Amino acid sequence: MESDRKSYLSVENLNVSYKQNHVLEDISFQIERGQFVCVIGPNGGGKSTLLKALVGLLPIRSGKVRKEARNIGYVPQQLRIDPAVPLRVDEFLSLKLSKRRIWFGPGRTRTAAKKKLEEIGAAHLIDRQLSELSGGEFQRILIAYALLDDPDLLLLDEPMTGLDARGGMSFDGLLHHLNDHVGMTILMVSHDLHLVEHLSDQVLCINRTVHCHGSPDQVLQPDNLSKAYGHLPGLVSGDGNEAFIPIGKLK
Amino acid sequence: MWEILQTPELERALLIAIIAGPIMGLLGTFITLRGMAFFSDAISHAALTGVGLGIALRLANDVYGTGMQLVLIVFCCLVGLMMAWLFERTSLRADTVIAFSYSGAVALGVILISQLKGYQSLEGVLFGEILFASNEDVWMILGLSVVVLAFLLLNMKALLLCVVHEDLARIAGINIRRLNYLFVLLIALVIGFLLQQLGALLVSGLIVIPAAASRMVATSFRQMLLLSAAFGLLAGALGIVASAQFNLPTGPTIVLSNVAFLIIAMVLGAAVGRGKLVRPGTSQLDRV
Repeated sequence: MESDRKSYLSVENLNVSYKQNHVLEDISFQIERGQFVCVIGPNGGGKSTLLKALVGLLPIRSGKVRKEARNIGYVPQQLRIDPAVPLRVDEFLSLKLSKRRIWFGPGRTRTAAKKKLEEIGAAHLIDRQLSELSGGEFQRILIAYALLDDPDLLLLDEPMTGLDARGGMSFDGLLHHLNDHVGMTILMVSHDLHLVEHLSDQVLCINRTVHCHGSPDQVLQPDNLSKAYGHLPGLVSGDGNEAFIPIGKLK
Repeated sequence: MWEILQTPELERALLIAIIAGPIMGLLGTFITLRGMAFFSDAISHAALTGVGLGIALRLANDVYGTGMQLVLIVFCCLVGLMMAWLFERTSLRADTVIAFSYSGAVALGVILISQLKGYQSLEGVLFGEILFASNEDVWMILGLSVVVLAFLLLNMKALLLCVVHEDLARIAGINIRRLNYLFVLLIALVIGFLLQQLGALLVSGLIVIPAAASRMVATSFRQMLLLSAAFGLLAGALGIVASAQFNLPTGPTIVLSNVAFLIIAMVLGAAVGRGKLVRPGTSQLDRV
């Protein structure tokens, strides 16, 4: 099939269970090279589970996942690290860059770490401790870590949750850069429907199953959203627990 | 001053402090970063039951000697594995598992020992007696240090990734379950080996305090690791010398020497604005 040959990631009838609960049922979708795809849906709807299943963190009960992408980068959902941990950014990145079994600091990997940080505008953070970074800075470092082995597909799990407006805008610019200029294919879970409308080529709305899938204009309609969420996502909260619906769509 | 160290007992004690101090400091770094300080405390206190069982089952005649050391090592490993299994298989929080394992084992140990004929003082088990160490003990502790160092060097990347985010560790192909069980066994092994010399009440403090002191001044993980080993070594040696010089109990003097390093590190850290005594919004009390 033509669409199969073009697809970068193809998921067919995916079923995932977690502790005897069916978290995902019969999920099918395709992503093409260079697309920016956002996954939306209510809390507990299986968005993070989908990403974890795609990178092999959770076992697949049945279905097929075909990846044309050589390397997949994964950015987990996390905002902060325990202040008791004095790990510096260069040390953290060297955990992936250093190929030696015995690790004792960043050493020669520091140059490569700095280069990767420069690419995403975070070179100034190289000597900082992870625990001192703001939420947005920490997310950038997690992205740098994911980009170290030059993935062609980047999976991000709610990277904007908890970021303030300034951090969110700066992060938004980074994702634009990776998708438009680097040409990276991105699959991102997000609650912020304003952002989803603004960034994505395709939107996948899931609540255990795929409720709708298509362009932002097709998916971000009040009818579709209220079916998936059980109610119309609110307009007020930016903390990631309640989705935003673009005001234009409500009109 | 060096004349006071001219007895074989003190020489051996100093050797043990110099070998075990840095190793406990290194291990303590990972224990504190993984939030397992109370875990090591619980294992060392549970060893009281090991002492009682060793004597009751006639596996050892007294609280010292190789027979008892083997009993303690095996018992500490079993208690450590049991707690790790309970963390994994029950929905109880880790601190709850530690609390009941700890108090249950201490209660059982005291009852066992009190029922034995020729009831022995628990002082030696509680506070240790490093001056009773034999040449064989020194060699065994040297062997143990090699094992601990090898484990930490080979698994440092994996242990650190787990501290940052377990999913990143899994993606890197690390078997977290196996790593956790091996790490627990390593802690139990170290405590089991050193309990007779350093005492059930003191050994986990000697593991944790150098790491806590180094965190107050370290600006990187590498620094924390090196400083923790250095503090463990210096505090151990200083404790032995001070106990000999002022005729003080050796184990407690080593602990106090570690505490002195911790206080100095806290003051230094606060002075240079690194290891703030209280980080805004991150006080342990905020989480209660």
